[in-house]
Amino acid sequence: MIIRIPTLIALILSLVSTVLVAQEEVPNNLNSEKIKGARFTPFASYPGKPFLNDKFASGEIEFNDGSKIENLKLRYNSLRDEIIYFNNANSSHIIIDKISLKGFSFTQEDGIKRVFRRQYYDGYLHEERFFEVLSGGRISLLCYRKADLETCDTSISKSGLNYESSFKYYAYSPEKGYLPLKLTRSSLLSKFSKPNQKLAKRVLRKNKIQIADEAGFIAAWNLILSNKIPIDF
Amino acid sequence: MILVLTSFNGFPQISEKFALFTDRDVYASGETLLLKVFAPEAEQSGVVNIDLLSGKGMRITHAILKITGDQADGFIYIPDSLSSGCYFVGTSTRTNKTHTLKEIYIANRFADLPESNAFSRPVVDQQRIEKPIPGLRIQGIESRYKPREKGHFTIALPDECRPASTEGISVTIATTLQEYNGQNFFVNRNSPVSPITDKEGIILEGVVRELQSDHPFKNGVVYLSIPDSIPGFNYYITGSDGRFYFLLKDYHGKVPIVIQAFDKAERQLVRISLNEPATIPVDFLTFETRNFSTEFRRCISQNTSNVTFRKIFNQPEVTIQMAPLHKPDPYPFYGVATTTVFPKLFTDLPDFSEVSRELLPGVKFRTYNRIPVLLVNNSAQQNFFLQPPLLLLDGIPIHDLNLIKSMGSKEIDNVEICQSERFFGDLSFPGVIAIRSSKPDYSRPAVSDELIKLNLDAIQLQTTSYTPSELPFNEPDLRQVLLWKPSLKPEGKLEMDFQTSDICGHYKVVIRGKSANGEIYCKEQFFEVK
Repeated sequence: MIIRIPTLIALILSLVSTVLVAQEEVPNNLNSEKIKGARFTPFASYPGKPFLNDKFASGEIEFNDGSKIENLKLRYNSLRDEIIYFNNANSSHIIIDKISLKGFSFTQEDGIKRVFRRQYYDGYLHEERFFEVLSGGRISLLCYRKADLETCDTSISKSGLNYESSFKYYAYSPEKGYLPLKLTRSSLLSKFSKPNQKLAKRVLRKNKIQIADEAGFIAAWNLILSNKIPIDF
Repeated sequence: MILVLTSFNGFPQISEKFALFTDRDVYASGETLLLKVFAPEAEQSGVVNIDLLSGKGMRITHAILKITGDQADGFIYIPDSLSSGCYFVGTSTRTNKTHTLKEIYIANRFADLPESNAFSRPVVDQQRIEKPIPGLRIQGIESRYKPREKGHFTIALPDECRPASTEGISVTIATTLQEYNGQNFFVNRNSPVSPITDKEGIILEGVVRELQSDHPFKNGVVYLSIPDSIPGFNYYITGSDGRFYFLLKDYHGKVPIVIQAFDKAERQLVRISLNEPATIPVDFLTFETRNFSTEFRRCISQNTSNVTFRKIFNQPEVTIQMAPLHKPDPYPFYGVATTTVFPKLFTDLPDFSEVSRELLPGVKFRTYNRIPVLLVNNSAQQNFFLQPPLLLLDGIPIHDLNLIKSMGSKEIDNVEICQSERFFGDLSFPGVIAIRSSKPDYSRPAVSDELIKLNLDAIQLQTTSYTPSELPFNEPDLRQVLLWKPSLKPEGKLEMDFQTSDICGHYKVVIRGKSANGEIYCKEQFFEVK
């Protein structure tokens, strides 16, 4: 046994050395798509929130071909409808080319995950837009998280300008397109036929759903759709 | 202990080897060799290299075939300049430990066979990589046909020949020379197996070294450009080993490629080199002398004449299918241009300095102390970038501004200008100017230590054997391959039609496929055309 152990050690060492000689620096993923974009130029500072998330949040982007890049620091610019990521190698804020993306998602500090997808908006000011998907499915509930630079009272901003959120909500299906919605009970119920309105009201009442804000509206939307009450769309 | 050692040293198992078959064993120079490959199930590569090698192992030509469903098929054009003798067709991948070789005889059609009446054949441990399967039947083949006679036969496949996972079986009818059978054998790889698999395409790899010391260069930037209407582009930043890798997906046929490397800090001059594909070691083989029989000489003589006549009548051997459309990016890697200018539409301007001054907004091209300088205006900040922009000439990044200095408006088709700092991965470009010349000429950037140009043989296009629909009787039908169906769906009964050519002699019907247990099965039947 005493003779065997050194022999075995020598044998193992010789095998390990052959493995080490053959090793190369293996690249991570040759297939990974490169992010294309332009440097973000900061805009004028006014009161209000031009960004949806104040700080960069961890998230992922999905390219048109379906490939994804995870663990990116992302920030959605509501003013210009852009997604910005922080490039560690260059220490730069980069606007990712909108046309290169299918969508993106990030998780805020409070743990809420926001999922966006790029879609062509065919209404007034038709263009490619990032819509937040509030509820998926055949008919999805989307929100265009827009912010605008508006005039305001000089007591709010000395320059008389501030950033104001002007979120727009839509029901969307690929066949029918966009149907504008307001975050009110009456707006939601008006999208159903008379008999279905009664059903929807009953379901909301039974589940004690109040539509006072966005969360209430999403809860009401999901509840009605889960009860298979057809939307008049 | 022996078992452990064996596994560490990686002696290949039978199921780890490729099976390679050619349509015939004897060819004339200038002909097309058709081949079929069955890949082992565990093969990690998505492509297989097929090399035509001389008896001494020198690579003559090669093809890259895509492996689909553990199989691949393609062709190799045999150069006209080859001298008569034994050659090898071999497989190699980045990951397989064994090369599969097939011996073939090629006769030069411009020179007679040697007067010595002798030729060398390798002495190898011939391997039968296929096995006959009794349940497989070929029905309806006559023992004798007349020239230009239509034939029909049925292949009855037993259940074991129809595994759900296998994509196809191959059916071949070709001339055969019964006294010469090309030998199949295996050779162990003499280079280490690559840790990087090429499952999705071709991998180009190489090394960047310091020009003076020849040490591997760390943090070298390597650009790969593929000139096109929307140019392909990728980059790699080298590690401490100086190596770089590029994956080329979905490229078929010949692809022009430019690879260049540089030190981003501009401190070092570098030299770039591409790794040669792994060679198949056959130099250890010994050869024995054999004599030609009278029949062999006669057949080869007839074969070479047939090939020459076929060329005179311009009869192709294979029909190459259209390349699957490579879907380009919707826009160039440098982004959508801020401005595109077409200088041809304006008055003639003699050089690029004048073009930039008169036509290109936000572009400054000047010569100070005989040194040209190019700058782009940053539209967001309304000042010029301090660094030179990315300059592309016909899709190829160039650093030497003297290449565009003399380009007047007549020589430029269009100029795209990006007046913002663009990013591609971790690379940043302080503005982009992309010039497309009137006559795209990829030879402008000169080959140097830092720049390599190559016309890459990418994945071979799908081919089918040429079968004439109706030939007039005054035009000879000189096909030696009457049927070549390399990937038929294995169904219970396969009905096959063929038509004999004007070439009389012995023909062999061969059916090959891969059974459910991974073994290669075959069935052969002979007939004569008289």
